[in-house]
Amino acid sequence: MFTRRTVVLGGALAVAAASWAKAQGRVREIRVGVTQDALTLDPANHRNRETQTVIRNIYDGLLTRDAEMRIRPEIAESWRQIDARTYEFRLRTGIRFHSGDVLTAEDVKFTFDRLTKDNAMGGQTSPRKGLLGPLQDTVVLDERTVRMVLAEPWPILPAMLPFQEVVNRRHVERVGQEGMQTRPDGCGPFRLAEWRRGEAVILERFADYYGGSTEIPGAGPAQIDRAIFRVMPENSARIAALLAGEVDIITELPASAMRQVEASANAQVMKVNGTRTFFVALNLAKKPFNDVRVRHALNHALDKGAIISRILNNTATPLRGVMSPDAFAFNPDLPEYVHDVARARALLAEAGVPQGTELVLDTVAALKEIAEAIAALLSRTGLRVRAQVWEGAVLTPMWQTPERRRDRDMLLTSWGNGSLDPSDIMVPTLRTGGRGNSAGFSNAEVDRLLDAAETETDQEKRAAMYRRAQAIVTEEAPWIFLWLPQDIYGVARRVQNWRPQADSRINLHRVRVG
Amino acid sequence: MTASRVLERLLQTLPVLFGVSLIVFLMITLTPGDPVEIMLADSRATPEQAARLRADLGLDRPLPERFLLFLGNALRGDFGLSFFHRRPVWDVIAERLPATIELTLAAILLAILVSIPLGVAAAVKRDRWLDRALSAASLFGVSLPGFWFGILLILLFAVTWGIFPVGGRTSFDLEVPRLTGFLLIDTLAAGRLDAFGSALRHLALPAITLGLPTAALLARVVRSSMAEVLTSDYVLFAEAKGLSRARVLGRHALKNALIPVVTVAAIETGSLLGGNMIVETVFGWPGLGRLVVESIFARNYPLVQAAVLLYAVTYVTLNFAADLAYTALNPKVRL
Repeated sequence: MFTRRTVVLGGALAVAAASWAKAQGRVREIRVGVTQDALTLDPANHRNRETQTVIRNIYDGLLTRDAEMRIRPEIAESWRQIDARTYEFRLRTGIRFHSGDVLTAEDVKFTFDRLTKDNAMGGQTSPRKGLLGPLQDTVVLDERTVRMVLAEPWPILPAMLPFQEVVNRRHVERVGQEGMQTRPDGCGPFRLAEWRRGEAVILERFADYYGGSTEIPGAGPAQIDRAIFRVMPENSARIAALLAGEVDIITELPASAMRQVEASANAQVMKVNGTRTFFVALNLAKKPFNDVRVRHALNHALDKGAIISRILNNTATPLRGVMSPDAFAFNPDLPEYVHDVARARALLAEAGVPQGTELVLDTVAALKEIAEAIAALLSRTGLRVRAQVWEGAVLTPMWQTPERRRDRDMLLTSWGNGSLDPSDIMVPTLRTGGRGNSAGFSNAEVDRLLDAAETETDQEKRAAMYRRAQAIVTEEAPWIFLWLPQDIYGVARRVQNWRPQADSRINLHRVRVG
Repeated sequence: MTASRVLERLLQTLPVLFGVSLIVFLMITLTPGDPVEIMLADSRATPEQAARLRADLGLDRPLPERFLLFLGNALRGDFGLSFFHRRPVWDVIAERLPATIELTLAAILLAILVSIPLGVAAAVKRDRWLDRALSAASLFGVSLPGFWFGILLILLFAVTWGIFPVGGRTSFDLEVPRLTGFLLIDTLAAGRLDAFGSALRHLALPAITLGLPTAALLARVVRSSMAEVLTSDYVLFAEAKGLSRARVLGRHALKNALIPVVTVAAIETGSLLGGNMIVETVFGWPGLGRLVVESIFARNYPLVQAAVLLYAVTYVTLNFAADLAYTALNPKVRL
């Protein structure tokens, strides 16, 4: 546990080190090569990953995540769940925005009202409203305490709060909605020095930073003087910049370039599991997928390892079920559908599926290569599987309702789970009638468990319910379970105390450079 | 060349611009599916934002009315809102335009500076080894894929030798107040020679990548034009008068040989302005070309429409300017 004294001492040392470096004329700087520029610097006015990455270094949230993806308090000192619809947050004291204004509970209320109330952004509604589900109201109890009230139980509120940053009410009133796009006033470890649109966002260290979460080692002001997010859309140029020492971290390193980076003296490859689960949804309302033996056969038939190694360059983690191994309530004891074509053939014969039965695997152009590989591997069972590529705008509605997908067979698709909580993926994709339930899966016990977990405040009990639900889903096999792609980064060896996170955030607060 | 001829020639460009406007307009109409749903797929817009976009695009009105509305708005420079950036389309384009123009002008200047001496040398040494070598080199230059050439330059000059930076417009240590958006001008206006030098260094590789294929093309034009001029009577007469070779070439031959070069250079400038997407993407150059590529991937149709229209207007204008220049330089040619 880190005491207040440790934090203060750490902060003082960091300030001293920074002053020394400046006195020596050396600016400790880290450069991150990203594929896209920030769209805005207003935390409430985007739904874009790269934008979030930049903004999260300027602004802090009520809660954050550590490198293991555990939820930790940040601006909040602590939080507790009062009941299924109410959460209470106790705020730290002495937090200042970059302008010098002190952060208050009113700022927190203003932030969440701006995010969730209709037309609260100068007549517009925040595009991030959907990320806060049924959050109905934020109430200030006293100058250090706010309470969030939900319209209905929503257990992933704490998991979703790291995605929202607290803004300065007075600053918003001063600069207006337009000003918020380019003149941020956060309370995060870095403040904006210059935004060269389309080229780079240049941040400088905020010396009066309160230090961030004390529950994550390295609290205190940032260890570097300057952080630059440099826009480099082209893969080869990004890699060249890393190898030339022009940038220190690059995102979206192509798997084919991993060996080149590893071979260089000054850079290395870092990988982390992403949060998007890939699967093949089987149309359960249609023969032969209404027979569980067929679904088991298809899971046994697919050699996931071959696709992961040959097409995905070993940059994906195979899954036995729905959830990422990094997620809350992940069930590590799920049985594996071992690759066994003979067994698959036997199960299909047992289910009375004739050899040569034609099946179609629908997908979009981006997944064509994988879909063709899956079709070829499934065809080894004697089925004749064909991949069919559609426009996304046509495919999505085609699989949305039971009537529209009546004649379809299989869908290669994926579902993001940024919250790393089962509620955010199992409810939409596996609960009866869920908006992403392409397979049309309906299981009374799974529905009961998912519903109960939504209102359960005891996290242990909630986790147990989700683990049980995962076991049933794996047994029922409404999908061919595939994999979780990894995010790949190229990182200069001089970068210390940084590693990629599953939520794709690039937090530079605790980074040091050698 | 009378004013009425210029006006007539100007009016001839209108059908072209009208045709381009129609194609650009139909881009949204011919897209399968609901264009609003497609455009907003990644931006998670709220229902009222979707409704506003639908109204902005006039999707609830008859097609001819929508086209007239689009034309009227385009003439006023109003292309609606870029949902991706959540700002007016024209604001986003105007912000990126100077970088693209600066790169294009640098590339065309480089191309002219390289091509004229090489083209003249090839013509003077016609059918000798120098001519053959330059012909082969220009063929190679014209065939260079910009993507490959840019990466090659980065690997050699940035990664291996560290002479030039990999990308960007200027060093991050230098902050220059934005006056025009043209960095070479802004740095000089601010009296910042260090920043000017940095901007030049950053401009070098993208300008070479963009300019070299054009230089190869122009060199071929200069060579053939110069070769033709060198066999003309007045050049032979000048040589017979005993004028020095340099004087004959510089004073008499080159002046006339450059007339077609002006036309080609003007048209090439238009092509470079609209065709630098790849170079801007490779070098992380924050210009319009890269913005268009990003907008295509983000299905940001209003921005793509505006940019395509801008490219067309620029191209037509430069063609027109080339015609005017050609007539001015060579009175024998009439518009």
